[in-house]
Amino acid sequence: MTATNAAALPATGSLERPTRRLAAPLWVGALLIVLTFLVIYPLAMLVFGALSDSNPVVDGFGAFHPSIARFLEVLGNENVHLAFFNALVACGGGTALAVLIGLFFSWIVVRTDTPGRRFIAGASMVPLFVPPLVAGVAWSILGSPKTGLLNIVLKWIGVDFRFDFYSMSGLILVFGIYYAPYVYMFTSSALRNMDPSLEEASEVAGASAFTTLFTVTFPLIAPAILAGTLLSFVVMLGIYGVPAALGAPANINVLTTYIFKLTAWSPPLYNTAAAVAILLMVVTAIMVWAQQKVLSGKSFATVAGKAFRPRSLGLGPWRWFTFGLALVYLFVVVVLPTIALVIAAFRKFLFFKNFDALFDAKAYSLAHFNAVFDNPLTMLSIWNTLKVGVITALVGGALAFAIGYTVNRTHVPGRKLIDLLATVPVAIPGLVVGVAYLWAWIGLPGGLYGTIWILALAFVARFMPDTVKALSTSFLQIHKELEEAAWICGRGLLGTIGTIVLPLARPGVVASMTLLFVLAIRELGSSLFLYTSDTTVMAVLLLDYYEGGNTGKTAAFSLVQTVILAVLLGLTNWLSRGSAQGSARVG
Amino acid sequence: MKRRTMITGAAGLAATSFAGLPAWADDTFGSKELIDAAEKEGGLTYYTANFAETEQEVIKAFNKRFPKIKVAMVRAPGGQLITRIKTEAAAGKLAADVINHSDRGLMLELADLFQDYTPPNAADYRPDALVSPKLWPGVTLGWAIAYNTQLVKTAPKTWMDLLKPEYKDKQIGQVVGPSGGTTWTRIMFERQVLGEDYWKKQAALGIALYPSGAPTSDALVRGEVSIAPLLYNIIYTKIVEGAPAETVFAPEGVPIIPYADGIPKTSKSPNAAKLFMNWRLSREGQTFQIEKLGNITSMKEPPAFPKGWDPKTVKVWVPKFDEFEKLRAAWLEDWNKTYGYRQ
Repeated sequence: MTATNAAALPATGSLERPTRRLAAPLWVGALLIVLTFLVIYPLAMLVFGALSDSNPVVDGFGAFHPSIARFLEVLGNENVHLAFFNALVACGGGTALAVLIGLFFSWIVVRTDTPGRRFIAGASMVPLFVPPLVAGVAWSILGSPKTGLLNIVLKWIGVDFRFDFYSMSGLILVFGIYYAPYVYMFTSSALRNMDPSLEEASEVAGASAFTTLFTVTFPLIAPAILAGTLLSFVVMLGIYGVPAALGAPANINVLTTYIFKLTAWSPPLYNTAAAVAILLMVVTAIMVWAQQKVLSGKSFATVAGKAFRPRSLGLGPWRWFTFGLALVYLFVVVVLPTIALVIAAFRKFLFFKNFDALFDAKAYSLAHFNAVFDNPLTMLSIWNTLKVGVITALVGGALAFAIGYTVNRTHVPGRKLIDLLATVPVAIPGLVVGVAYLWAWIGLPGGLYGTIWILALAFVARFMPDTVKALSTSFLQIHKELEEAAWICGRGLLGTIGTIVLPLARPGVVASMTLLFVLAIRELGSSLFLYTSDTTVMAVLLLDYYEGGNTGKTAAFSLVQTVILAVLLGLTNWLSRGSAQGSARVG
Repeated sequence: MKRRTMITGAAGLAATSFAGLPAWADDTFGSKELIDAAEKEGGLTYYTANFAETEQEVIKAFNKRFPKIKVAMVRAPGGQLITRIKTEAAAGKLAADVINHSDRGLMLELADLFQDYTPPNAADYRPDALVSPKLWPGVTLGWAIAYNTQLVKTAPKTWMDLLKPEYKDKQIGQVVGPSGGTTWTRIMFERQVLGEDYWKKQAALGIALYPSGAPTSDALVRGEVSIAPLLYNIIYTKIVEGAPAETVFAPEGVPIIPYADGIPKTSKSPNAAKLFMNWRLSREGQTFQIEKLGNITSMKEPPAFPKGWDPKTVKVWVPKFDEFEKLRAAWLEDWNKTYGYRQ
């Protein structure tokens, strides 16, 4: 793929050979074929489902009697209206909070002399590893109005106030703190790659640090902020676990919980679920269009050929204030839910008569961990999950690089279509994606169904928008002049990509592959239809525990999952740092 | 406590060691030829809509009797499992050798997929638990009233007790009516046996609603609700492990849900599949499920009873299958309105 990539890409200059003239359309065609297989074909199955009441595999295309009635029925259903409204409020509020937290953290970590920045940077990414279902369960243990640990503590210290996370504000808060890392990832790398001379110019002109922040810094990283905002909003729209655990007890439905209901009923209403999913996709398409409209015609190149040193703002004594705020955030988002999960994992039952019952040593044991490891599926699912994660990260990372480069660094015709197709899957909830892939791929010759590969390909397709957007930010920041310099020096396209683009975009590539790995390991919805007895994955087993009403085992297994992820990510980080140093030495 | 320990140490239960207890001769499970052929096949794939952990125990118990037959399991929630079965079958890739599902109606629609099969003890089963000669109730579940022993001062003893004003203000938790065939069975029982206005009176107390049985049982143990009608097997294992909960089987009747299990025509290990079905439907298999897992049985003469079940006073209630299908949509709509549930 890389060789084709290199041979095919941009035909500039007047001395092109005919093969090179042909290469661009061939390259675009190849990408479109891949996207057709991964996105259009399953999507067509989804539209097929939404417009009929048949299963395309079972009933065949002959039974396809398209009708707009289902759409109208969905649009006219007042429960859908309410779920839609709730989803917009919960995700809108959550996104606003996530942007606030994410931006603040990236500024603290990249641009200030706040103590312990590396630690803060590492720890603030923790929520990203936590499956939404686990986050929801952890916060229901903490914030249930009747039995929440926080309320037990409040009662013990004699405070009358009670938390109620089974509410819209609870949903917004949990969404906000858990999806802040998305915004952080985008904005911190943008801030890190930004030439500080523009800010210095602003300050020389007499602007205060605060004014500079809002008139120079943030506007310059606007693409990253917008990308982070858009992504966190649409990802929240597709999350099931958090609203299932926190919204359901208060009868707050969002679109995903409504879709889950449709698929879980007996008989399941997949066709209606597909229609609701199409509605979600339309909303996302509008948002993507709006983002492109806002960004079009503006240059956000902040990485130029000149060398610069990252600039750090001396906060003086205020650095302890920012440090304190960071600690409070980390306490809320990492320590509290972890305490809740640890208590749930080690405690036989989560019934607390009073505060003292928390410290009853007899109530704690390793029973849930023993049960989890006693289950033969546990080790199988861990091994399968790792395989799927690695395949997804490698295949998805390479594909996202190819798409990101084509869309952002070339002017080949068809690149906008590629961008659009690569963005579409973000809007489709996992469960519906799962059934679309099942419908689409089960009949294909070659035995894809029943293998690890079908899961990996579904994840590659499902998370393509996340990876492509994460990479695009890196591409947007690399000034064209660097590539032009390489071409002038006689480098071919492959050489330019290999020596200029890839090394400069490397943090973005590594970050997006890591993100893909994490997302693949957490992914539940699309796994449910595609796994078989030999290819079961951790997320499926986690849902089994949750559905079995085993909060203890769910917590124990999610701690196991978190530890595995942390070890692997630490290892990846260490390896990539080692190789970076190695290549720096060689260079 | 390890699950293994829990299973062997369950208080008050007859200790049944299959390896050392030839209580039922091997031909109960099938002829020698069948067993030899099954062992030659060496394994089977089992699709189930039941809880994975529960079915793992069934497989372990089966393997104590037949250690040479490996059972691989695929578990998915009911509706999703049906979609998978239909799609795999249509694509000619149905991997299942045995399918275990709670919704008899949905399984009946798929009856053509299944081969003819009759267990050796077919005559022991209640005719009203069967919907097709190809499908058999390998699993039968039943509804009990569960309560948190730390929170409830006067425990309910009957279904009618769940209308008492002392349990008002979300002390009672319930699984929503449309969640599936098991809950539909219970609410059908409530309306047909306990009275047309039972739902209305109960809804007036203010009921906490949950999407399925598992979170309801979890909420009961945590103390979010004090009382909940629950499938006995969901709460039973928790009680054995020491959860602060108890159950009663109400004298008005125990609504039961016979599953519909069968062997697809496309089974690649038909002998192993038959042996697995035979064992699960045998007295030994049913006894194991009643005593260790909290199931009920669809056998005319139950080989065992769950703890607290007095056969003199407690009777099972099986829904009439034609009404089960016919009344469903309209009654569920009524239920949703009565309980204020937005479907």
